[in-house]
Amino acid sequence: MSVPAADQDILARRSEIAKGLKSIIPNHLVIDDDSSMRAFDADGLSAYRQMPLLVVLPETTEQVAAILKWCQTEQVKVVPRGAGTSLSGGATPLGDGILLGLGKFNKILEVDYDNRCVVAQPGVTNLGITHEVQDDGFYYAPDPSSQIACSIGGNVAENSGGVHCLKYGLTTNNLLGIEMVTMDGEILRIGGKHLDAGDLDVLGVMTGSEGLLGVVTEVTVRILRKPATQRAMLVGFDTVQEAGTAVSSVIAAGIIPAGMEMMDGPAINAAEDFAAAGYPRDADALLIIELDGPEVEVDALLERVEAIMKSEGATSIRVSTSEEERNQFWAGRKSAFPAVGRISPDYLCMDGTIPRKALPEMLTRMAGMSQKYGLRVANVFHAGDGNLHPLILFDANAPGEWERAEAFGADILRNCVALGGVLTGEHGVGIEKRDLMGEMFSEDDLKQQQRVKCAFDPDHLLNPGKVFPVLHRCAELGRLHVHKGQMPHPELPRF
Amino acid sequence: MDILSPTSLDEVRDIIRNCLSDETSLSLRGAGTKSSLGNPVVADAQMQLSGMSGIITYEPEELILVARAGTELTEIEALLEAHNQMLSFEPFHPEILYGGTSSGTIGGMVGAGLSGPRRIASGGVRDYLLGFNAVSGRGDIFQSGSRVMKNVTGYDLSKLMAGSFGTLAIMDEITIKVLPAPETSVSLVVSCSDLASAQAACSQAFASAHEPTAACILPRDIAANVNLGGDAFAAIIRLEGVEVSVANRLTEMQNLLGPIGELHSLTQELSANLWRQVRDAAFFNETHEQIWKLSVAPTACVGIVNKIKTSIDASYFMDWAGGLIWLAGAGERLGADIRDVMASNGGGHATLMRASDDRRQNISVFQPQAPALMSLHTRIRRAFDPKQLLNPGRMGA
Ligand SMILES: Cc1cc2nc3c(=O)[nH]c(=O)nc-3n(C[C@H](O)[C@H](O)[C@H](O)COP(=O)(O)OP(=O)(O)OC[C@H]3O[C@@H](n4cnc5c(N)ncnc54)[C@H](O)[C@@H]3O)c2cc1C
Repeated sequence: MSVPAADQDILARRSEIAKGLKSIIPNHLVIDDDSSMRAFDADGLSAYRQMPLLVVLPETTEQVAAILKWCQTEQVKVVPRGAGTSLSGGATPLGDGILLGLGKFNKILEVDYDNRCVVAQPGVTNLGITHEVQDDGFYYAPDPSSQIACSIGGNVAENSGGVHCLKYGLTTNNLLGIEMVTMDGEILRIGGKHLDAGDLDVLGVMTGSEGLLGVVTEVTVRILRKPATQRAMLVGFDTVQEAGTAVSSVIAAGIIPAGMEMMDGPAINAAEDFAAAGYPRDADALLIIELDGPEVEVDALLERVEAIMKSEGATSIRVSTSEEERNQFWAGRKSAFPAVGRISPDYLCMDGTIPRKALPEMLTRMAGMSQKYGLRVANVFHAGDGNLHPLILFDANAPGEWERAEAFGADILRNCVALGGVLTGEHGVGIEKRDLMGEMFSEDDLKQQQRVKCAFDPDHLLNPGKVFPVLHRCAELGRLHVHKGQMPHPELPRF
Repeated sequence: MDILSPTSLDEVRDIIRNCLSDETSLSLRGAGTKSSLGNPVVADAQMQLSGMSGIITYEPEELILVARAGTELTEIEALLEAHNQMLSFEPFHPEILYGGTSSGTIGGMVGAGLSGPRRIASGGVRDYLLGFNAVSGRGDIFQSGSRVMKNVTGYDLSKLMAGSFGTLAIMDEITIKVLPAPETSVSLVVSCSDLASAQAACSQAFASAHEPTAACILPRDIAANVNLGGDAFAAIIRLEGVEVSVANRLTEMQNLLGPIGELHSLTQELSANLWRQVRDAAFFNETHEQIWKLSVAPTACVGIVNKIKTSIDASYFMDWAGGLIWLAGAGERLGADIRDVMASNGGGHATLMRASDDRRQNISVFQPQAPALMSLHTRIRRAFDPKQLLNPGRMGA
């Protein structure tokens, strides 16, 4: 993957640009010394590091608007950044662009229980929202594993999910409104405490747009009452195939659990070494199924799920009997990344989604690829919705391993698409999967997406080089080629 | 007027390319059930989409259904019902409001983006449209989204398509996420002395852990008409799911809401019937000159309706715990008054759902947006349909 070559003219104007920005926002909000900028040189895809041209840390929406407008006039690129936990390089800086950090937007503005929503600034962490309302029995449902750190604005930009999105949806399903600033400095308010915004669903297309369409400066999210009871079940299987079938059988029985996660043998053992969660080490596949709701409902559904698991050939079944035990069940899954980090110097986390029924086939193929590339792989899945997180183990210091890991990852994603799935279920395209977009989309599909980009940012100044493998100029994209006189279907009437 | 009836996406593309060269605009028609919803369209020709119909794939275990845009909604609903599944967003059925015998097509359902009572609990049409393919007003075939539950690859153009009233592109294959239907469903009626306490009952229900899936408010006259309440406002809360759970939550809900007003519950059948009426705005009739739909913050409905009622003779009821106000009335000033009152009570958006062509000619059917947002909407439309060939003027500029 390559980062676009820096524009030398912009690099040469660096001090002038710093001065210009300092003339519109307070000096201390413009960071231009290398040692302070170092903290921003990468996001969660840390194999890619790049010092930004400058860092700006605005404190108000008006400052964001002034910065963007100035950058538009001066044709300077801008990369928005929340907490920098993106795993796809969405917030990787550009050497010839300013990094616009939203860390100072860290306040909860309003809690409204009667309308069940929270209004917050984008730099508030995902968990920060739940913390604000949990004493009153509420929570914010989407729960990415990075929730202690990642920002709600970053969640909007990535349309993040979590283990509970099977039942409660992704960010997009829990977002009611935003305030945003477009590259020309216009401040827009979309949605709010009401549902749908009227006219085109700009809120919907902003969600998951990876910082390419606008900068989110405020969010209104739905909060939910905490379920009365939550219980989890640990189920071991001899084969991943059986576990996969068991997952489908639960859904086919009309049950949508709050979460349904799967781990394969290597992931089970790594997690068990790390967290001692009580996982069956001899199992080749482990399911963690969580049910929530009123106690009687959870009891009734647990019974049904248990029956399904038995008939699908489960080798071990444990049901949590206390909150402590439930947390213990999850401890292994939630520490899967650091656990794998302990058995391998480095790992690469992939994020494709496939139709659930293709899971066994995908795992067979993955085993083959693991052999081919000579690298181990551990798998954790959001099995309920077919979202895979293969962790490719490698050693960045061993010559050629990083390249092999990247090639292995790309191969996995190509296979996801070939099996009817997609390149990314929740981590975003960023720079990581940018060059694979052609696997899933035709040239016309990608051009249509870029035309939407042009409606927001006609000069491609906001987070360019992400998501799209080839950047077409908006003027070129807008041109119409009228095929006059071509009549491949002469039977159709002409006017 | 020419009527074009393509049967494939390639044919649609060829037609659009010809339209581009001849600058011929098109009105798009599925079953035509909602053709009087939206700003009146003046177009050179009509494209009839019912020829592109049929269910392509239905995989209950994968929770997906793929159908061509011209497929009748009732055909899809019947198939899902036979497998104990459903369209969770309870799409609006147009027969009662607009007449006719068809419930419309799935393409029209997506285009109009009208969701029913469960919208507040688990999302609307927009939340269940996983992907589609289409021909843009540029005459290009493109696709977006996928057939899997979880996908963030590229922009989510499905969101733009839902509720765009055919002003962006002509869809063919539509992929929808479906869900298991609840095993049981009951409703609890709370008789309330005024609107404020009825709304409070709804808010309390949704703030509880008892997981209601819908809450509506009927004023005295409508409640009396459907035999739901002596002389009181009815707040009606729906509970769904596994039988033991529903029974348990009903008791809990009764304990919670008992202090607000007298309670009684509706059996499954009465409940289902009532929520269909709420979904389709069946409490209004042809004598109402204009029917409006307001989306507001649930608690704001009280102030809005009370204010409107001081100067206007209007009939109303609410869904979405108060967040959706259906309002029927008459007169030239009605729309402007509604929008003024809404703007000074926390905002939201108001849509004129039914009125004569004349009336719709003279007022914006959809909520006017702030200028900067409006011009963004226009730029997005042009990104799909630069020559404004598709349903010109029906929504937006
Ligand atoms: C250990 C670990 C576990 C993770 N687990 C999950 C998981 O379970 N599920 C999941 O979905 N993701 C997960 N992630 C990925 C990541 O946490 C999410 O993508 C998160 O939403 C990123 O938020 P952020 O604030 O860190 O954004 P950043 O990384 O700073 O930015 C991400 C993207 O959003 C843009 N952006 C940020 N803020 C704004 C804004 N205010 N306006 C406009 N654009 C903006 C950036 O330009 C960039 O493109 C995980 C990451 C890590 C490191």
